[in-house]
Formats: sequence, C-alpha cells, structure tokens
Amino acid sequence: MSRKNLLVEANALRWEIGDNLHDTIMESIYADASKIASRALIKNEEENSFVIDRVIDRLITSRWLGFPLMFLMLAIVFWITIVGANYPSGFLAWLLVDLGQPFLKETAMSIGFPAWLSGLIFDGAYLAMAWVIAVMLPPMAIFFPMFTLLEDFGYLPRVAFNLDNLFRKAGAHGKQALSMTMGFGCNAAGIISTRIIDSPRERLIAIITNNFSLCNGRWPTQILIATIFIGAAAPAHLAGLLSAGAVVFIALLGIVFSLLVSWGLSRSVLKGEASTFSLELPPYRPPRIMQTLYTSLIDRTIFVLWRAIVFAIPAGVVIWLTANIDIAGVSIAEHFISWSNPFGLLLGLNGVILLAYIIAIPANEIVIPTILMLTVLVTGMSGLGEGTGVMFELDSISDTSGILAAGGWTMLTGINLMLFSLLHNPCSTTIYTIYKETGSIKWTAVSTLLPVVMGVVVCFFVAQLWYLFS
Amino acid sequence: MGDPILALMIGSAILVIFTFLFFPSKGFYFRWKKSKNISEKVLIEDALKYIYDCEYKNINCTVQSIAGNLEISSNNALDVVKSLQSHKLITSSERLINLTEHGRSYALKVIRIHRLWEKYLADETGVNPADWHDEAESKEHELTEERANELAVQMGNPIKDPHGDPIPNRKGEIPQFEDLHLNSLKANEIATITHIEDEPSSAYSQILALGLNPGMQIKVIQVSSEKIVFEAEGDEKVLAPVFASNISIRKIRKDEKIQENFRNLLSLSKNEKARVIGISRSCRGLQRRRLMDLGIVPGARVSIAIKSPSGNPTAYNIRGASIALRNDQASQIFIEGISQN
Repeated sequence: MSRKNLLVEANALRWEIGDNLHDTIMESIYADASKIASRALIKNEEENSFVIDRVIDRLITSRWLGFPLMFLMLAIVFWITIVGANYPSGFLAWLLVDLGQPFLKETAMSIGFPAWLSGLIFDGAYLAMAWVIAVMLPPMAIFFPMFTLLEDFGYLPRVAFNLDNLFRKAGAHGKQALSMTMGFGCNAAGIISTRIIDSPRERLIAIITNNFSLCNGRWPTQILIATIFIGAAAPAHLAGLLSAGAVVFIALLGIVFSLLVSWGLSRSVLKGEASTFSLELPPYRPPRIMQTLYTSLIDRTIFVLWRAIVFAIPAGVVIWLTANIDIAGVSIAEHFISWSNPFGLLLGLNGVILLAYIIAIPANEIVIPTILMLTVLVTGMSGLGEGTGVMFELDSISDTSGILAAGGWTMLTGINLMLFSLLHNPCSTTIYTIYKETGSIKWTAVSTLLPVVMGVVVCFFVAQLWYLFS
Repeated sequence: MGDPILALMIGSAILVIFTFLFFPSKGFYFRWKKSKNISEKVLIEDALKYIYDCEYKNINCTVQSIAGNLEISSNNALDVVKSLQSHKLITSSERLINLTEHGRSYALKVIRIHRLWEKYLADETGVNPADWHDEAESKEHELTEERANELAVQMGNPIKDPHGDPIPNRKGEIPQFEDLHLNSLKANEIATITHIEDEPSSAYSQILALGLNPGMQIKVIQVSSEKIVFEAEGDEKVLAPVFASNISIRKIRKDEKIQENFRNLLSLSKNEKARVIGISRSCRGLQRRRLMDLGIVPGARVSIAIKSPSGNPTAYNIRGASIALRNDQASQIFIEGISQN
C-alpha cells in the first residue's frame, strides 16, 4: 500500500475508533501492569504500622475529638510562637536598633558623612531593615519549623481532610486550611505553600484570599491598638481579656472574609477555571527533626526574610525622604497628610494612617513605628521620638497612647485601624510572591486591590454608622 | 465631618452603581463590551455557518431565514448577502443561496474553531456545560487558524466536540455519519449516545439536567407517544419524544461490552471490598485524568480507609495509598463487590 493510501486509511480509521482511545489505552496499560504485579508480588496487607495509623486516624478525624484536637494543636503552636518570639525579638531590637543604630551613626559622623547622607542611610534604610529583621525573624524561625514538623508527621493533611467539607461549600479546597494557617505566620510563605493545591481554580482562590489571614507583622499592631483603645475602655480587671478577645475577633473575622471571598470568587470571576479534587493521606512517620529545621529555615524563613529586607531598604529611604524633603517649608509627608486627612476621617482613620500604609507597603512591621514618627512630626511634639523621619517605638504603652491621643485618635480610629490592618493590600513581598506564583498581572492586581477596596468600604460604613450613633 | 446619613446614602449608592456596572459577566460594562464586538466579520462568518447548516440539513436558505437566524433586520441581512457575494463566498440564483467551494471551506474553518473551543472548554476548564456554546460562538471569530491548530495538537487532535459533533480536520473534511435518533429505538434495545444537539438551549438544558453525555450506553425500557423511558448508567431517565429527537445514538455492535452493573463508589460500605470497573462518561478532561493518575482504573481494588467527620470527603485505600475523594467524585466511579474470602 502506498504511503498516501495508508494515511487515508488511517484517517478513516481514526473517525471510526471514536473518542475514547486515550482512556482505553491508559486503562489497558494499567490493567496489564497490575496483572503482572499481582503475579510477582506477595503483599502482607495488614501490616502493623498500618493498624496503628488507622487508630490515630480514627482519633483525629473523629466526629467529636477531631475539631477540639485541631484547635488545641493550633493554639499551642501560636502560643509557643508568640511567647517564644518575644525574647529573641527584644534582643534583636536592642542589638540592631538601640545599640547598632546610634553606633553606626556616630561612626559615620566621625568619618565625616554629611548629616543628610547618614540620615538617609542609617535613619532610613538601615532602621527599616533592622526593624523588619527584629520583628519578623524570631516568630518565623519558631512558627515555620513547628508547622513543618506537623506536616512531616502527617497531621496537616488530616486537618485538610477534616475541614474540606467547610471549604468545599465555599468553593475551595481543604488544603486551603493549611495555606491559610501558614498565612498567620507570613502571607508570602502562605502563598508559596498553596503549591500543594494541584487544582488551578482552588489554588488561585487560596492565593487571592491568603491576605485575610492576619500575618505576624500585623499581630503586634492589633495587640497594641486593642490594648490602648479597647482595653482602656473596659474595667481594669476585664481589660486584658477584652483586648485579647478583640484581637481574636479580628482574626476570626479574617477567616470569615476569606471563606466569603472564596465563595464569591468561585461563583463569579473564577467560575470557568479548571477544578479537580484529590487529597492523599500519607502514612504517619516520625518527623526528621534536623532536616525539617534546616529546610524550613532555608526554604521559608531565610527566603521570605531576604525578600522582606530587599523591599524594606528602599522603603526606609522613602520614609526618611518624605519627612525630610521640604516644599515651601513644609515636608512632603505633611503636605500629603493635610491633603488626605478629610478622606481619612471619612473612613474613620486619618491622613497619618493612610500615608503610613502607603509608604510602609514593604512590611506591616514598620506601620506602627511610621505612624508614631509621622504623628510626632505633624503635631510638632517636642522631646519625643528620635528626630525627623526616624521611625521609633516606645516601651511604655501609656506613652504611645499619649502620642496617639495628641494626634486626635479616638476609639473609632483604633477600631478602624484594626479593621484596616486586616483589610488592606498585602505587603510588597507578598505582592511580588503572588506575581511569581501566578505569573499573571491580572490575578496579582485582583489580590492586591480586592482587600483594599473591601477595607475602604468596611471602614467607611463602620465610621459613618459610628458618627450617626454617637 | 458632614452628615453621616447623607454620607451613608451616597456610599450605598456608589456600591449599588458599581455592582450594576461590574457584576461579573452580567454587569453593564461586560454587556457593553460584548455588544461592541459584533462587527461585519462576525456577521459574515455567522451567516456562512448558517448557510452551511442549511445545506447539511437540506433546508432552503433565504435572505429572510438568514435575518431570522442572525437576529438582524432583512435590510442588514441583504447587505450581508451582498458582501458574501462580492467575496465570492456564495452564489445566489432566484431566491436560493448556495455556498461556493471557497465559502464552504471558510464555513468549515469557523465550525472547526467553534468545536475545538467547545472541546477545550469541556476538557481543560471548569466552564459550565450550558455556557460552552455561547463562549465558542464568540471565540470562533477571534481565534486564528494557527492558534486553533496548536490547540488541536495540544489536545491530541480530538475528532469530536463534547456534544459528539465531528470536528472538521485541517483541510476542512468532515465525515458524514448516519446516526439514528433516540426515539427510533424500541424497548430493550441497547445503544450508545453519539451526539447531543446543543441548540435550542432550552432543550439542551433539559438533557443536561438528566446527566446524559456522548459515549454513555443506554437501554430503552419503555416507549410511548408521550415519553421514552430508558436507563443510563444505572439510573432511570424519562424524556419527551421532542427532546429525545435531539439525541443521536448508534446501536451497539455485537463485539461491544455491555455494562450492566452500575454501583458507584459512594455506595461502598465500611469493611467492604470492591473492584473499580470504570468512570462515568460525565467525568471528563482534567478531572478524569486526575482520577486515572491516582490509579482509579478498571481492576483496581478499593475499600474505605477513613470517613471525615462530615462523611464528605471519604478516604479510600487505592493501590496501597489512602486517597480522599469528595462524594460527587465517588458517585462517578463504578465498582463491583468482591466476595470475601
């Protein structure tokens, strides 16, 4: 038969064979393979470790014990992280900010740096970097290894298994519970961890909603503001409980928002994306501690920290410059603040907060120091802070409260700052990570703008209702 | 500070307006964008497709019927016909319109892109089956031939679209099938669904609701002038003869396997062992491949490993691993029990 005839014949046969050719071939390959394997392999099905696995499984996926065990485990992880991170954070802040910064400045001065240059480098760039390291490193270095150990042991896939029902109703994947929890440590790491979700649509949902998990750069802001504004309004013996309750409420609100937004996305913009579900429950195994420590430190902590530093340095420069470059005798920062203040008040915030959130995009950690610096700058308070354009924090909560009161803050400002801190654009490290992971400007823009728009809307309505009823 | 009530009202009004404008796919903005896209090219291509369809079905095609099909005025339809003539795509004599050789191959090219895109939507995305046709209607005018060919290669040169219509090949060749309609079957006859007509959409959505898909085996139980009762994948379905005429079938060949047992994985009870016998035809594309990747192919043994607190998902032992599947997936996997020994 000639080549041409052969092709014609083949083409005709193709129409005849039908559409299921690929399936049929795959099925028969599997069938043959398993036939051969079953002849050659002797299997001992009821292995001992398998039985133990099932006993543990029955316990942690049980109807009554499953959820309480999960919350207990998470609470322990968070508690160790928050308490454990305090000491190294304090030490790093003392070393890098209290000791290091004056020392570097003096050294620079003595070798004849002009004041503006040493201000730019050490008050701006260096300080922002030091702050990010001191606040960010310890909690991440504690949280991520613990998280990885639980993952390695095999517990986390069971959490996804338990929670899948809830996430399915929101149009998401059970594994989103894991990337969400990871987001409580750091949103950038949370977004990287969505790689475990292999269904394209559910992965995008997990990426876009990860920012609703309160990351460790925002916990300190929440705790400080809740203590100053919510705790102070309560009777003394209830203050601690009430402010802690307020922070937990904001975190839970974040989870509610993330489920609601998942639900909305899966039914609107993401309706057409491909979706498939599968979740493997690996056998339990003793975690490899050293290896876990190494990989979680290198893969997650150092990686994220490095990106944060890269973004924090230019931000430090910008922060210092906005406070130090004058136009018509008034700094850029003050110009912007007085211009944006009416809009800020409309949202129950103020110009200082808006500016702080714009110039502190690289890291949520430096929002409060920036706010304090700007408030001192605007109110012209003397004897407080470290100088124009130098971010600072105070050890005493009542002093901090004093500065904020002088800046015209009310209880509403506090509440709305807490809301806005939950609902605003992700930090630049996270935005960059989203772009890297999705490879799409469109989805990066959606995940960046959606939370800000929601934040503005929520703050606006809270503020106006507050004005109405007070 | 302003008046909070006024501010609240303005704020709510802005929210409402934005929802109206930008509500996904139904919003004013998206509708406006869509309506802007109707150009002369679109009209010409749609007209060619319609004239081809008339030839295929042996219906007379007139300017009036073109106007009706494209939902434009007769004057506009006349303009379209004139421009088709000037491009030598059609010949028209008396009141009859016929495609030229060139026009036929152009029409088949558009149809090829349309069906390829439907296949793509069905296999590689999560777009709702009811929306496949409309999306392909607009995509067929945008996609270039090269891009369509790339898409075809990427999908392994499919030969049929998800409704069972043959996809014309690159040269614009299309085989003629002589299929029967579902209402030509008698009781107890077994056949395979080859094609489901997707227009009109009201009839199509009725058929979709029954969960019928090309490739499914059906067995007719009872035929009367009011209804046809038949069995598909273990479930009894009822259709009016009007709708049944939209389903084409092929009688089963002698050497074909007849699948009779349609228990699905969802019905598996604890401590019971079973063997997979197949995956439903309604599970396609990425989802089907994923299940097969996990080793869910005929012959694989399954049993329940653990149930989650809510019972959905459930983890199954498959090929030595515990794999959690959601209930809607489990209901698409067919099994048969294995006697305990």
